[in-house]
Amino acid sequence: MSTLSPDQWQTLSPYLDQALALTDDERAAWLASLGEQNSALAAQLRALLDEHRVLAQEGFLEEGPTALPSTPGLAGQTIGPYTLISQIGQGGMGTVWLVQRSDGRFQRKAAVKLLSVGLARGVAERFRREGAILGRLSHPHIAELLDAGVTTAGQPYLILEYVDGLPIHSYCDQHNLDVNARCRLFLDVLSAVAHAHANLIVHRDIKPSNVFVNRGGQVKLLDFGIAKLLEGAGSDGSATLLTHEAGSALTPEFAAPEQIRGGLVTTATDVYALGVLLYLLLAGQHPAGPGPHSAAGLVKAIMETEPPRVSEVAGRTGAKASPTPDRGATRERLRRQLRGDLDTIVAKAIKKEPQERYASVTALADDLRRYLRHEPISARPDTISYRVGKFARRNRLAVVLTAFALMAIVAGTAGTLIQARTAREQRDFAFRQLTRAEAINDLDNFILTDAAPSGKPLRLNELLERAERLVRREHDLTDVNHIQLLVSIGRKYQSQDQDASALRVLEEAYKLSRNVTDRSTRALAACALGNAASGSGDPKRAQALIREGFQELPNESQFVLDRIFCLECGSRVSDDAGEPSDAVARALTAEQLVEGSPVRSDVLQADTLMGLAQAYRSAGQFGQADGTFERASETLARLGRDDTQQAGTLFNNWGLMRYHSGRILEAERALRRAIEISQENPAEGGVSPQLLNNYAATLIDLDRFDEAGNYANRAFAEAQKAGDEILIVQTLLMRARVYRGQHDLAHSDAMLALAEPRMRKSLPAGHYAFASLVSERSLNAVAEGDIPEGMRLAGEAVAIAETSIKNGHAGAILMPTLLVRRSNVELAAHRTQDAVSDAERAVSLLQASAVPGTFSSATGHAYLALAKALAAESKTDEARAAARSAAEQLQNAIGPDHTDTQRARQLAG
Amino acid sequence: MEPTISWLIGAAERGDGVAADTLFSALYAELHRLAKRELARHGTPPSLSATTLLHEAYLDMAARDGPSFPDRARFMGYTARVMRGLIIDHARERHAHKRGGLFEITSLDTEAEENAVDHRELAQISEALDELGRVEPALAEVVDLKFFCGFSFAEIAAMRDVSERTVQRNWEKARIYLHRKIRADLAL
Repeated sequence: MSTLSPDQWQTLSPYLDQALALTDDERAAWLASLGEQNSALAAQLRALLDEHRVLAQEGFLEEGPTALPSTPGLAGQTIGPYTLISQIGQGGMGTVWLVQRSDGRFQRKAAVKLLSVGLARGVAERFRREGAILGRLSHPHIAELLDAGVTTAGQPYLILEYVDGLPIHSYCDQHNLDVNARCRLFLDVLSAVAHAHANLIVHRDIKPSNVFVNRGGQVKLLDFGIAKLLEGAGSDGSATLLTHEAGSALTPEFAAPEQIRGGLVTTATDVYALGVLLYLLLAGQHPAGPGPHSAAGLVKAIMETEPPRVSEVAGRTGAKASPTPDRGATRERLRRQLRGDLDTIVAKAIKKEPQERYASVTALADDLRRYLRHEPISARPDTISYRVGKFARRNRLAVVLTAFALMAIVAGTAGTLIQARTAREQRDFAFRQLTRAEAINDLDNFILTDAAPSGKPLRLNELLERAERLVRREHDLTDVNHIQLLVSIGRKYQSQDQDASALRVLEEAYKLSRNVTDRSTRALAACALGNAASGSGDPKRAQALIREGFQELPNESQFVLDRIFCLECGSRVSDDAGEPSDAVARALTAEQLVEGSPVRSDVLQADTLMGLAQAYRSAGQFGQADGTFERASETLARLGRDDTQQAGTLFNNWGLMRYHSGRILEAERALRRAIEISQENPAEGGVSPQLLNNYAATLIDLDRFDEAGNYANRAFAEAQKAGDEILIVQTLLMRARVYRGQHDLAHSDAMLALAEPRMRKSLPAGHYAFASLVSERSLNAVAEGDIPEGMRLAGEAVAIAETSIKNGHAGAILMPTLLVRRSNVELAAHRTQDAVSDAERAVSLLQASAVPGTFSSATGHAYLALAKALAAESKTDEARAAARSAAEQLQNAIGPDHTDTQRARQLAG
Repeated sequence: MEPTISWLIGAAERGDGVAADTLFSALYAELHRLAKRELARHGTPPSLSATTLLHEAYLDMAARDGPSFPDRARFMGYTARVMRGLIIDHARERHAHKRGGLFEITSLDTEAEENAVDHRELAQISEALDELGRVEPALAEVVDLKFFCGFSFAEIAAMRDVSERTVQRNWEKARIYLHRKIRADLAL
């Protein structure tokens, strides 16, 4: 026997390939026919093939060297009630053994996975416990997880139902299944995954080797939830071999883009993997092409490349295996069968953006069933889903703090939070947050993609109603996820100014939350309801609910996001209750928590900054407010959200703040921008009545009464529709001011008469809003010529505000205006000294709170009142100086053409 | 600064012989370190296999080198060859140890020891493999992966994205070549 030279080998090699692919009989015939052409070659090959047969019989090189410390013979050993029979597999995860119950209770065979990792101390118990949770997942198409535990030697193991069969793609090919048979088999896979999702378990690692078909033709899914079970199981707390392998590092073929990005893994991730599997079954190859793929190439394909349609690829030579066309059919016919609905279904399942995929596995299954029944499917080819996607992105803006805060934990910072001292508790906490985030995300997907069938976006409110019905139908009422979802829906209603609906849903969530022990859920439900109650005019209850929320939350890092949420709600509640210093303190604390928190994100920051700016505004700290609004608006622009509903809210609040600091022209611009943004987002449910009312206020100050009247009337109508008592009062006061500006005093009085009883009902006695009401009455009295009544009322208005301020409540913001108005009445009553002193007081208050470098209509009006009073006292020079200051301020704040500006100029001489 | 594994693999692929040698010793040291770490971590691990060791090595080095690290299939190709060296050295060492301590008494060896391939035979296989590597490197790699590192046909097929049948055919071909070579050497 001689060795082979490289040249000889090169010649023989391709023939060997052919020969080894044949059976023994075929090989003999093949050699015979080759011998006729080239007998020397045939002889050489025959010798080699004979040698091959002997080597195969001897098992040459079959047994690997055992030089490394190796597995001792485990056969016969026991794990719990199971006896190991024989090894049936080996892989990166460890070894798989066939086992039999040794206590004789069941005759059933099972498989045990012995995992080749150590477990950290204390993790073993959790491993067992969560294994038991997964074990309760019972479905005919899910291979049961019988037990999970840790041997006395510290080796973790999983005991699984033994499945004797083939991976699904091999099964389909071996049985020559056609397209419809493949779809029907795949529906069983979908029903198994849907069942797990309903139990909030995401598979995360669906691939052909985890989807088996047993000898009876039954689909069996393996390793459900095991990827997650193994997370963080490493002995040093770091990511382990298994985590990596179960994650993305080693087998990216079926990984979704978000898994590769390290993003949030949700039910949508499973939808993606199922889509790739369906693609493989129908097209006979992976969406990235027939291969071979390098890992880097695959990652690029998954992240960037639009895969070809199934129908373009199916039956192509190079595709490993694809459905058998019906008898006699051609490849063209197979492609015709796939073209259209199946193309669309698969494409929708493997969209790169999770929210563009099927909202649930059930939705995918429904479409597949419709296809089999020849009914129209729900998925649309790309043009329309693009439009829906655009709509979806827009509507994401109504950001629900809970949802995104939870996602932030899961997506980016699980490590940071979980490494902290009480590892187990924190991990359990994160585990719950994750399932919640998954459920909430699912809801978002439902809300956003369900607009697809008609191709035209539903209004968000309609979608919310449908989401509400869905949540009610699908969830266990005592489930924390159910409560969290209700809170999420309630807050979305609130962001749409649907306060009545918000209150109803949040009341229900709160009531249900009393029956659960989970602190986060109890706190969130209480704080969200507090916020809503405050908005609908129940400040006492609101404060109590917020306190309740805080009491639920220990001062521990794992509750930091819940604290931020409650602080933000609390800040708004304090603001509504006329407690501006509390509002600022709470908002500042929230902002600092975000800054210092590991979950710091632009989205979260934009929200807290807006809350803080708002609190500053209410407290009259305009300089700080202006700067904070600026920061918030920069953050939004950085996020690309400067034309969104959130930006609309920002411009509204910013405009209002400028209005209160007397920068009327700037306020008008900001509010106009806010209205424009709202109108550009028609799906958002129209322009907020609060915004319309604010805009009316700036128009009144600019003497544009007719336009102001339009906006105020619209605001009033919307407020009534929403049943918002406080807003109704505000719009009534605004309409009173418009009528007075239009010299229609009867109507103006009527508006005030309507407002008063409502205010008594919805606001606490002594609230500074009553100063506003009384002041309006005073102005009407003066306009009607009743100076003494005007005088009395002007005094009362100042007194109400003074008391409110003395008690530490809001009202400071109104004080200069009230004083200026009283000064004007005093002047009309010829009490010039009092007029001078009130005007001086107003000027000094305004100077104290003035933002350097800005001009204020309030300051201008105070100087103007002072100038008039001084002129009446014949202090001409001082009057002129005051008038010059008035003119300078008014010119910039309300414009040079305003009658008040002209009057100031006139007095300045 | 020491060159990274990624850089060394790149250089070796461009035909840099020094880089190829450095790569070999770097991978060897790495596998040795990992094997010791696994032993220290688990005492006598029930299943520390070459396969596990390679997975660990890949994760370890990929994490260290970052995104430029070669994909798993390429990495395994190189490292399987290194693993072969490690295993043969280990076998040789153990043999030497036994000779010193137990007067070459081998009859008391366990069942596993009896089945084990003799270290001299291993060295021969290795030599033949090196030669095959020069003629048909893909075949040699299959032997490294299967015989020395314990990967199954299915795993190797997945790694290379070919069918299991193809891997098996490669394996059978390689085995014929190696057998021929070893028999010829013995005959000399």
